[in-house]
Amino acid sequence: MSDDIILETYNVRKEFGALVAVADVSIRVVRGTLHSIIGPNGAGKTTFFNVVSGYLPATSGRIVYNGQDITQAPMHRRAHVGMGRSFQITNLFPNLTVLENIRLSHQAVGKNSFRLLRSHRRFGEHIDRADAIINRVGLTRYRDLPARTLAHGDQRKLELGMILAADPEMLLLDEPTAGMASDEVPELMALIQEIQAEGSKTVLLVEHNMNVVMNVSDMITVMHHGEVLAEGTPAEISSNETVQQAYLGNLYENLQEASDHA
Amino acid sequence: METTISKTTAERPTLAWLRQNRGTLAVLVVLLLLPFIIAIIDGQSISSVLANESGNSKFFQGLLIEIFILGLFALSYDLLLGITGLLSLGHAMFFAVGGYLTGILIKSFGWGLVPTIAAVTVAAIVQALLFAVVLPRVKGLTFALVTLGFASVFHIVVQSREAAPFTGADVGLQGVVIPAFLDPVDQRLRVYFIALLITMVVYFLYQRFVDSPTGRVCIAIRENEDRALMLGYNTFQYKVIVLLISSLTAAFAGMLHTIHQPIVSPNIAGLGYMVIALLIILIGGVGTLSGALIGAAVFRLLDFFIDRWFGEAATFLLGVIYVLLVLFVPFGIVGTWRQHSSQFTHQIEAIIERLRPKKENPE
Repeated sequence: MSDDIILETYNVRKEFGALVAVADVSIRVVRGTLHSIIGPNGAGKTTFFNVVSGYLPATSGRIVYNGQDITQAPMHRRAHVGMGRSFQITNLFPNLTVLENIRLSHQAVGKNSFRLLRSHRRFGEHIDRADAIINRVGLTRYRDLPARTLAHGDQRKLELGMILAADPEMLLLDEPTAGMASDEVPELMALIQEIQAEGSKTVLLVEHNMNVVMNVSDMITVMHHGEVLAEGTPAEISSNETVQQAYLGNLYENLQEASDHA
Repeated sequence: METTISKTTAERPTLAWLRQNRGTLAVLVVLLLLPFIIAIIDGQSISSVLANESGNSKFFQGLLIEIFILGLFALSYDLLLGITGLLSLGHAMFFAVGGYLTGILIKSFGWGLVPTIAAVTVAAIVQALLFAVVLPRVKGLTFALVTLGFASVFHIVVQSREAAPFTGADVGLQGVVIPAFLDPVDQRLRVYFIALLITMVVYFLYQRFVDSPTGRVCIAIRENEDRALMLGYNTFQYKVIVLLISSLTAAFAGMLHTIHQPIVSPNIAGLGYMVIALLIILIGGVGTLSGALIGAAVFRLLDFFIDRWFGEAATFLLGVIYVLLVLFVPFGIVGTWRQHSSQFTHQIEAIIERLRPKKENPE
């Protein structure tokens, strides 16, 4: 593959007291690809993800985004350099409408946030953009309902819409399908893949269910006990001996199923 | 800048604005006429009202001025707690700094009204920035306790014997000679109109602020601050803006208090006075703005009439009434009313939704 790296981590480490949650993880994400990080529960995926997105400070190591060192950049700065992230646990503005959730996300990257005395309705660009996004993720019917009244699957779509509204170069998605009904999962994954392809965006995805990512990923990193166990294309990962040996339990079956699908 | 944009779309927004605010404007008209209405009911002539002669009209003007001041104070607290979700227990200081500074500058230093206004503005900005300094270091309840600490220090200083020549210590600040044209007794009708005007203007500005892009971010901070940060908002900046607006409003409410009241009691710097603001917005509806003004009226009128009718039992009865209000009007007067009306519209919308053929889901 080309050397066009959008995100690179160098020996990123995160300790909680004596517990090493992430042990010197180095990954490279190639621009325009869908890169997945998988691993069983407790592998340190989400912690690593939180460090990359700035939600948690790294104990050591370096994070470089587009050639810029962002290791020390606070959360709100990362949104402005082009990173947008979703949370594993649905994280919305529950009492605000679907429209307002997405509108706020678009306003955040614009220049109108310090207008104190004009109605937000006068800044039509944010509303138009929000409406386009609402259509895109299929929530038109719920536009004016509070986010908390939506079904779980629709809340995950709203979450995705909020990231899209900021038009980030790179989407960081933490288990976007978590808690979704199994028949909704392929729909959402297809949507993510479409968005990635048509906008030539980079997607970094964390998932513990391997089936979900096998068919859509360009590259997969397998994490185990806070370390990178293997890295490669879906085909390489599913035939990787170490991966299979390390996960004789659940994951082994998942791998079997996945290779059956492929 | 504003005018050039709104001129292109001439009258229509004005008409829409008038229609949107017809309720508030009706209240404004009633309040403008109220001194005269009371006089007519009381058999007093209009000219005697204009001459500020004593009577029921003049008495109720005084009561309403108190309500306006309480309303401004509660409004500024609602912006912090109800809109932005910032719990401060030092809000009485925001108010008392304006009140005491006005009294001390006029009485002890012989300042005029205009330099006093300037000094109150500066003091309000300074105290807001003082709160802002600790803001990034302490979150939630800890911030509330730190602000309580600030306010307690101020309360103690105001009451101290060392400050007595200026503040009057426990007795309160007395003998402030208000400029004749604002004399609360001789020119009460004028003070009434000024206080009414200030309250209405501040209320409309607050409404505009909450509806503005900046105000919407403040609501987002209340709803989920982490998410707002993640979207790219530097939430600290928004909280500082809100602290500044709130502090300025409260300080000027304090200034009006000093102009209107013959004694500035140290009670206005105490925790109890802050609780009044909290109580008012709980009665009116947290985060509704209009609830702060309605709550102030309910609070002050209840206090007054129950005291007049029941005398000694008043405190007990007020306690019972507040418990009942919290039980049966849990979201405050405005909040509960809005919820009921929105539930009603939601039910209608749901019915329409069910009747409408589904356009989505082509499968």
